[in-house]
Amino acid sequence: MQPTAATKQKHMTELVTFYIGNSLCGIDITDIQEINKQTANLTWVPKAPDYVIGVLNLRGMIVTILDLGKKLGLSPLSRGKKSRNIVVHFEEELVGIMVDEVSEVLSARSDDIEPAPANLGGVQGKFFCGVLKTDKHLIGILDIKKALSDD
Amino acid sequence: MIIEDEESLQMYVEESLEHMSNIETNLLAIEKASDNPDEEIVNEVFRAAHSIKGGAGLMGLNNIKELAHKVENVLGLIREKKIKPDSKIISIVLSAFDKLNNMINHIRESEEIDISEEVVSLTGLTTASLPEAKKSSVGQLLHIFYDESGKPVFTITRYDFDEASRGGRELYIIKWDLIRDIHDNEKSLIDIMKTISASGNIIDSTVDIEGVGTLDETVPDRVPFMLLYSTLIGEDILPALFNVNRKNIRRVTSKLVRTVGESDNPPTEPAPSKPVFQSKPEPAPPAQPRVPIPEPEPTITKPAASSSETKESFTTSDAALTADETFDNEDINAEPDENNTFENSNDIDSKRKAFSIKSPQMQTSLRVDVKLLDNLMTLAGEMVLSRNQLLQNIAAGNIKSIAAAGQRINMVTSELQDVIMRTRMQSIGNIFNKFPRLVRDMSQTLGKKIELTLEGVDVELDKTIIEAISDPLTHLIRNSVDHGIEPPGKRSNLGKNPIGRIHLAALHEAGQVTIEITDDGKGIDGNQIAATAIRKGLISESQAAAMTRKEKMDLILLPGFSTADRITDVSGRGVGMDVVKTNLDKLGGSMDIESSLGQYTTITIKLPLTLAIIPSQMILVGEEKYAIPQVNLDELLRIPADQVKHRIEKVGDAEVVRLRGKLLPLVDLAKVLGVEKTFLDPLDGRRKLERRQNIADRRSKKISHHDDDKASKPEVTNRQILESGLTSPQHPLRRQSEDRRYRATSAINIAVVSLADMKYGLVVDRLLDSEEIVVKPLGKHLKLCQEFSGATIMGDGKVSLILDVAGIASSAALNIVDISRKEKKEEVEKLEAQKIKDEKEIASLLIFSNDDGKERFAVSLGLVERIESIKTENIEYVGGKQVIQYRGGALPLFSIDQVASVKPLPQVPEIEVIVFTIGGREIGLMVVPPVDAVEVPINIDSKALKQPGIIGSAIINNRTTLIIDVFEAVKTLYPDWMDNITKKQIKTGGSGTLLFVEDSDFFRRQVKGFLEDGGFRVIEAKNGQEGWSILTKEYQDIDLIITDLEMPKMNGFELTEKIKGDDRFKHFPIIALTSLAGEADIVKGKQVGITDYQIKMDRAKLLETVKRHMERE
Repeated sequence: MQPTAATKQKHMTELVTFYIGNSLCGIDITDIQEINKQTANLTWVPKAPDYVIGVLNLRGMIVTILDLGKKLGLSPLSRGKKSRNIVVHFEEELVGIMVDEVSEVLSARSDDIEPAPANLGGVQGKFFCGVLKTDKHLIGILDIKKALSDD
Repeated sequence: MIIEDEESLQMYVEESLEHMSNIETNLLAIEKASDNPDEEIVNEVFRAAHSIKGGAGLMGLNNIKELAHKVENVLGLIREKKIKPDSKIISIVLSAFDKLNNMINHIRESEEIDISEEVVSLTGLTTASLPEAKKSSVGQLLHIFYDESGKPVFTITRYDFDEASRGGRELYIIKWDLIRDIHDNEKSLIDIMKTISASGNIIDSTVDIEGVGTLDETVPDRVPFMLLYSTLIGEDILPALFNVNRKNIRRVTSKLVRTVGESDNPPTEPAPSKPVFQSKPEPAPPAQPRVPIPEPEPTITKPAASSSETKESFTTSDAALTADETFDNEDINAEPDENNTFENSNDIDSKRKAFSIKSPQMQTSLRVDVKLLDNLMTLAGEMVLSRNQLLQNIAAGNIKSIAAAGQRINMVTSELQDVIMRTRMQSIGNIFNKFPRLVRDMSQTLGKKIELTLEGVDVELDKTIIEAISDPLTHLIRNSVDHGIEPPGKRSNLGKNPIGRIHLAALHEAGQVTIEITDDGKGIDGNQIAATAIRKGLISESQAAAMTRKEKMDLILLPGFSTADRITDVSGRGVGMDVVKTNLDKLGGSMDIESSLGQYTTITIKLPLTLAIIPSQMILVGEEKYAIPQVNLDELLRIPADQVKHRIEKVGDAEVVRLRGKLLPLVDLAKVLGVEKTFLDPLDGRRKLERRQNIADRRSKKISHHDDDKASKPEVTNRQILESGLTSPQHPLRRQSEDRRYRATSAINIAVVSLADMKYGLVVDRLLDSEEIVVKPLGKHLKLCQEFSGATIMGDGKVSLILDVAGIASSAALNIVDISRKEKKEEVEKLEAQKIKDEKEIASLLIFSNDDGKERFAVSLGLVERIESIKTENIEYVGGKQVIQYRGGALPLFSIDQVASVKPLPQVPEIEVIVFTIGGREIGLMVVPPVDAVEVPINIDSKALKQPGIIGSAIINNRTTLIIDVFEAVKTLYPDWMDNITKKQIKTGGSGTLLFVEDSDFFRRQVKGFLEDGGFRVIEAKNGQEGWSILTKEYQDIDLIITDLEMPKMNGFELTEKIKGDDRFKHFPIIALTSLAGEADIVKGKQVGITDYQIKMDRAKLLETVKRHMERE
């Protein structure tokens, strides 16, 4: 975790970036409850939508863990040692997003975030609230509300 | 709003709601005793209104203050007995309190709510009660000034002013600084209000934010808060009482009071004003010496202007009020407030809203007994200690102590759970107490007279359940009022009490709460319901034909059903019954309807005490554990491997299991959930994938080639999938159609589950323990998984899903209807049989045989005169009949085989003769000894083995015994004897007609027999209700009533009560027949008016008693 521009306090957004398949995505850090390693030993829910991996006991709360790649039509997970759950606040409950790898936490000035194109890495642009260009990457910033919506 | 202090506001809301919680009950009590209402109750309501008003003033909630004030005025009049609180007045007050409740519940919007209707009605009431001369004082407004040169601080009506200054009281304006005097002293306004309310009356209060620093020249207060206060306390004591500076207290003298209208714009135009005599006010005549209105100082012009603006809403509503005054006055004098009574039937629809009890606001705070809290605290402390102990022991590695600590934590946790649960418990009275009002309002609209009785209001239920059943209960009560109870005229015609009764009861029963709603209305017509269901295509005619009465009634619960020929405005009959049921199902409750046409309807609701923690059965399917709530679980069934073949069958596509002679549909949980079944291989003790296609199929070692390699692999694959946490198993194995097994290796485990009328067997891989689980909701993404109702966390921290029995059934598309219906019918029959069994009575019987004990017979001992032993050789044959000489006469004899097809009497040297008296003559029944007298509870099956001379059969001492009908036997053999009975009446002197109410066929027959024999005409009735309806029709013929006590529908006590309560019938002597008269029964019977008690089958005594009472007649 290396905040790149910690000095610029105003209009800064901190983004947690991670890979879903080959795409680098980001989530506003304020949406995130925690990131954990409880990726195994989930309870599988039969008959659930296919993007639901299972449910998890997070200190007494039942958290649904999703494969966002599958839900958004990106490449599905290839689970490994680096898999993590990003637990986010979503409509008054906690929802976990399982990702292949959590990359880093970036600070971005809101000026640097551009509106998302209609199509981003094969995904509909509506799931993203913006795109951040860094030297190396193009990071799609996920709109949690839309990306996780259950319909 | 003046005070934006969230905490105070919340406190005010809570307090006000609490004040109002009993208002309805109290007001209804006042209405009931309108001639002389209980002063204490009136005071309580008055205080409630007063406190609400006081608080609202402080909070700057002018609308609430205004309305509460008007209510208070009316209540004051009631208190002083100036007006009689009849139902019209109570209606107005009730609706005002409704409005208040509404405003307080939506405190933020309270200022926008229109209260004019209520205010007009209430003002009307106040005005109407005043003497003519004073009427105008209600509408006349007075300005009260803090100092002569300022702007008016308060505006009140002259009526209020007069009321406040009555009896030597003085009015004061008291000024505080909210910041200095209150906030800095850490007092709350409400506290202060309470203190000062004790010694006087707060009439009005206000905060003048705009006037900060300008009203008081010497000390610039930052937030001046002013109170208009009326008290008997002298001016000199007040400063100490209020803890304020003397100069901040001002007595309201005539100089400070001015009538509005004449002094409307004090700053610009001096206008004449009327002085008011403080302790003896009178309506002021127009031309009075005026108080000079000083020219306003320029500095306060602005504040004053904006201040009058802040007062605008207040003044406007008062002005509107004045405008309406004349109209209102007339209206009230003619017919006190027609607007607010519910008699305008054209307008029902708009009133309908008034009947819907607002579902209680989701409470954000809860009152908890301090003791409970202390208890919790102690437990929490203990928990901490135990944890420390545990941690220490773990560090020290002391296994023994760890176990001890674990045990302690276990105990503390259970207790903690219990106490926390109790904090959530609330009495059901919270809901029940709303219904008297509902019933009252509705019955007024519908022109019915209904009395609602409540029982068990103290029964406690979990908060969430209380909240959830409010609506369903309201609906049911509405149904009862609207459709159940008939209009009074109709009821009178039917011979019912014109006042209908609805009884609402709650009671604890076996870990559940039962709520019963009974009305004595017209009942539910099963046939009409069935007809409607057919018309709507919900069932077919043949289905309807096969239905029992109960089943037809249950059709009302089908979705989309409504019997309403005309849906009334108040509640559509049947509409929503299915919704009620669904809601109850969701809570894990059940619902049952019982009704008798024209008599009553009882709806029974059963609810769990709590939802949060439920006992469950854990089961295993595939690799996952699931929980089945214990409420849904009927039994666990294990079908041993060798019985699988003949106990599990296929009916069409459905697999069923034979369970105690009944067919139970099976649902394969693995199939429904789409998981691979597993089973414990008995050979190597390992869990393996189950690959039988049908439950009835068997496993075998004889596996075909291509199965072989798969058989060992899949288990591993599947487990890997789950352990690695991958998405749903991809079903690496698809069952092959040819994959049938021929040797049984394991049993089948079935959890028999039921939900309302549905019952099926859930086939699972393994049955595990039963556990108490904590129910947790599932996330939004899983809302479509109808198979699960929630999730829970197991001891190992893993999540297990809770199965939804209803969801699984619908997901399995279980075609359960036919089977369940058939089964239901059986169940109903069984239930009825059970009922008879429960009601079976003790009978004294003579038991004998006619053939060495192989065939057994019994005859009721009550009919027997005596038993004689005779020698067979003495029997003579006369005219084809057997007789024996006996005491100088001929005693005719018969044997059972002469009337019924049973074995003939064997040739034995000596026989017993049981002698009966029938129609005044004796007749002997020949039987083979021995003859036993027994007293046993019997349950007579009057169908299976019935034949001439035999009433039926019963199991006595484990043997099937035929019960002989002596009367019929004699009738068959000597038909002329019976004819004699009528003639004989004259001789014996026994005459008259009896109504005999008895549910048991056997006893009815026997007793009727010997009563007729005794010369009486007997009218039979099978239960109290039937007895009652016969009585109402034929009472002129009836002389005396004999009734059984234990009967279905209406028991003997109820019948007696009803008879004694009716002027037409109360002269009838009532003799109660019991098998065993207990002391308690006799006392109870005497209370309701039973004349005499007789033991069943004690013929001689009964006849004697009947005769005695008849003679008295």
